[in-house]
Amino acid sequence: MDSWGGGRLALPRAARRAMASVLMCVLAASPGHARDITIAFGAEPTQVDPTRSSAGVDLYYTDLFYEGLLTVNADLERVNWLAESWRVVERDGLPLIEITLREGVRFHNGETLTAEDVAFSFKRLTDPESRTAGRLRYVERVDVLDERRLEMVLTGPDGSLEPLNLLLLAIPKGYFEEVGDAGVQAHPIGTGPWRFISRKPRDELVVERFEDYWNPAAAPSPEINRLTIKIIPEDTTRVAAFKTGAVDWIDAVPPAQLAEFKAMEGVRVASLPTPNNLFIGLNAIDPASPFRFEKVRRAAAHAVDFDAIVQYILYGQGIRTAQLAPGSLGYDEALKPWPYDPDRARQLLAEAGFPAGVSVNCYNLTTPREAYIKEMGETVFAYLTEAGIRCRVVQLEYGAWINLARRFARPEMDGVLNTMWGQGLPGDPTDAWAGHVHSAGDGWGNYSYHSDPELDALIEELRTTMAQGRRVELIRHIARLKHERVAGGLPSYRPMITLAWRDTLDFSPWPGAFWRSMRGMGRPGP
Amino acid sequence: MKVYVLKRIAQGLVAIVGALLIVFVAQRLSGDPVALMLPMDAGEEDFAAMRSALGLDKPLPLPFGIFLGNALQGDFGQSYQWNAPAMQLILERLPATLELAMAGLVFALLLAVPLGVLSAVHRGGAIDRAGKIFAMLGQAVPGFWIGLLLILFIAVELQWLPAFGRGDLSHLLLPAIALGWYPVAAMTRTLRSSMLDILESDYIRMERAIGLPERAIVWRYALRNAMAPLATMIGVYFANMLGGAFVIEVVFAWPGVGRTVVEAVFARDFPVVQAGVVLSAVVFVAVNLLVDLSYGFIDPRIRHD
Repeated sequence: MDSWGGGRLALPRAARRAMASVLMCVLAASPGHARDITIAFGAEPTQVDPTRSSAGVDLYYTDLFYEGLLTVNADLERVNWLAESWRVVERDGLPLIEITLREGVRFHNGETLTAEDVAFSFKRLTDPESRTAGRLRYVERVDVLDERRLEMVLTGPDGSLEPLNLLLLAIPKGYFEEVGDAGVQAHPIGTGPWRFISRKPRDELVVERFEDYWNPAAAPSPEINRLTIKIIPEDTTRVAAFKTGAVDWIDAVPPAQLAEFKAMEGVRVASLPTPNNLFIGLNAIDPASPFRFEKVRRAAAHAVDFDAIVQYILYGQGIRTAQLAPGSLGYDEALKPWPYDPDRARQLLAEAGFPAGVSVNCYNLTTPREAYIKEMGETVFAYLTEAGIRCRVVQLEYGAWINLARRFARPEMDGVLNTMWGQGLPGDPTDAWAGHVHSAGDGWGNYSYHSDPELDALIEELRTTMAQGRRVELIRHIARLKHERVAGGLPSYRPMITLAWRDTLDFSPWPGAFWRSMRGMGRPGP
Repeated sequence: MKVYVLKRIAQGLVAIVGALLIVFVAQRLSGDPVALMLPMDAGEEDFAAMRSALGLDKPLPLPFGIFLGNALQGDFGQSYQWNAPAMQLILERLPATLELAMAGLVFALLLAVPLGVLSAVHRGGAIDRAGKIFAMLGQAVPGFWIGLLLILFIAVELQWLPAFGRGDLSHLLLPAIALGWYPVAAMTRTLRSSMLDILESDYIRMERAIGLPERAIVWRYALRNAMAPLATMIGVYFANMLGGAFVIEVVFAWPGVGRTVVEAVFARDFPVVQAGVVLSAVVFVAVNLLVDLSYGFIDPRIRHD
C-alpha cells in the first residue's frame, strides 16, 4: 500500500498525478508557501572547496555556492558576472587586466565581496595544496587597487584569457582563513544563489535559496525554498526514484530510456550538449606506428560510421563533429566529417603500403564516464578491424585509462585510444589543442601523439592572440588543417545529457556544472 | 578457555596484519593515485611533489612500516579524494552497513530456519522441493539483479516501498531482501542436513517413545542441537555481508562502507581502502571468534577447556 491508499479503493495513477499537479500548483501559487524540492544526481562531488577541486564532478556542488568574474549564461554567452567591467591594457610591455567588481554582492555569511576576496582566491588556487594551479600559469600576480578594483598581471599575451583566467571564483578571505580547510569542507560559503545547509556524504546535500542574492533574475524562483540533492549512482535506481515520485528532477537519463521519458505523462525532458568532445587518439609519432602515415589516419577516418554509432549505440544522444561542436568559438559549419567508406579505407591502407592491413593496440575505457562509452569504443574498434586496421583491444578502467592519456605515461599509448577533451561550454579549443595536437603537448587534456610544425606554429599563435576576430580565423584555419591531416586524433561526437523533471515544477536549464546548475529551479524553461 | 581466547586473538591479529600487507602491496601495484588527483596538464615536477607529499616516493617497506605504526594508533591518514581522515569516513558509514547486514541476516534466517526444518521433517515432500527451488533461486541469481527486480516491481510498479536511500524500516526492506537471499540456500541445506541427523538420533527416538509432542521434539529439542553448524555459517555470512554489501549499497544508493571502499579502490584512495580493509578484517576475526565461543553455549559438549 502506498501513501495514496491501495487495494480496491486506490485511485488510478493518472488521477493521482492530476491531483498532485493541482495540489502543487495551488501550493506554488499560494503566497508564503515556498516549496522544498528533492532531486537526484548520478555522481557525487568529493570537494566543496573550489580551490581544492581537481575533478569536473566537483562543479556539481561548487557551482551552487560560488561564482566567477564571468559566467556563461543560459544562452551560452559569456557575460560579466561578479566583474562589473574589465579591460585589457598594456604596461611595461606586458598585458594586464583591470577588473572592477560589482557593487553590493554579499557572501552567505553577510560579508560584502571585495577585491581582497578575489585576490585571495588566486593565491589559494596557486598555493601548493591546490591541484589546479597550472590553469592560471600565465597570471603572474593579482594586485588589489581598492575595495572593488583589482589588476591581474599576466606574464605575456594569453589567448585563454576569458575561458580560464576570468573564471576566477570569489571566496570569502576572512571566513576561509578563520575556519581553514576542514571548516570550508564542513560549511562552504560563497556568493552563489544557494546557501549550504547540510551534507551527508554518499547520501544527500541540502541547500536553501539565498535570500540576499545579488541577481534575482538569475536565481531560483522565490517559490522554491530548500533543495535536497540525493546521490543515486545506479541508473535504474535513479530512474525508479523519479518514477515513484521520490525525486522531482534527475540528471543523466539513460539514453536507452529517453523515448520512454519523452512519452511519460507529466514529465519534461531536455537533451543538452555536454562540454566534452570525444575523439579517437592515434599515435602518429612513434616510428613503429602505422598512423605516422597520413593515409593510414585517413583510412581510419573513413573506416568508422560514427553517424550509425550516434544513432544506434547512443540513441541519438550525440552531436557529430568534424572538429568542433556547434557553438564552440571558431566553429565552421562548412567543415564536414569524413564520410563512412570502408572500401576507400582499405584502398588508402594499400596506397600507404599496407595492402594486408595493420595490427595495433586499441585502448578502450570501460568506466562509464560518458554514456555507453565502452560500447562505443568497442564498436569503433570493430569498424577499424573490418576495414583492415586490426585492433587488439585492451580494456582499461578509469585510473589506468587516464594514466595512458597523460604526459609521462608509462607505458606510452602506442596505438589507438578512445578518449576525449573538454573545455566547458560554449567551448574554446585553444588549450586542449595545445595539449593533444601541439607536439609539445603542454596544454590541457590529453598528451599529444602528433608532430606537425605548421600546426605547432599556428597553435602557438592562437595561445598568445587576444583579439577575438583573429582567434576565430586561427581556430578555423587550424581546424581545417587538422581535419585534412587527421592530426591530433579523429573527432567523433559531443555527447548530450538528458535532464528530466515533473511538469509540476518549472525548470530552466543553465549550462554551469554541466547543466546541473540549479539557478533555473522554479523558472519557466524554454 | 582464557588461553584459547588469547590464542585466537593473536591469530586474528596475524590475519589482520596479513590482510593489510596484501592490500598495501596490491594497491600500489595497481597504479599511481597521483594520476587521478592531478589535472591533465600537471607536469613531472607536480607529480614528484605530490608523490613526495603522500609518501609514495619511498621504497615499499618503509611506508608500510610507517603505515603499520600509525594504523596501530588508529590513524590511517587523510583520504586523497575527500580530504578527511580515512577511518573517520569509514566509521561514519559503518552504522549504515551494520544495519543493512543485520537486516539481511535476519531476513536470511527468517527464511532459512523454517525452510530447513520443514524440509527435513517433510523430506522428499512438496515443501522440501519447493524450499530447494526457492532457496536455489537466491543463490543462482546475483544480488544486484534481485535488487533491480525488487525496485522495478515492488517500488516502481506496486509503489509499496521506497526505491532507494536510508531512512525508516520501509527503506531497509528491499536492500535487506536483496542482500539476505543469497545465503538462504546454503543455510537451508545445512540446517536440513543437520536436522535429518538429529531427528534420527537415539535421544529423539527416546523423546518420541515417551510421548512428547512432535512439534516440541522438532522445534525445541532437535532444532537447538541442529543449530551448531548453522551458527558457524551465520558468523561467516554476516562478515561477508559486511564486506560484500557494496553491490547492494550501490543499487539502493545506501550510504555504507562497501560503496565507499569500492569507489576508493577505483580512485586509488589508498588510506580509505586500507581503513576499510582493516575494519572488515577486524569484524571478520571478531565475529568468527564470537561464533567459536558460542559453540559452548549451543552445544555444552564443546568446551574450550
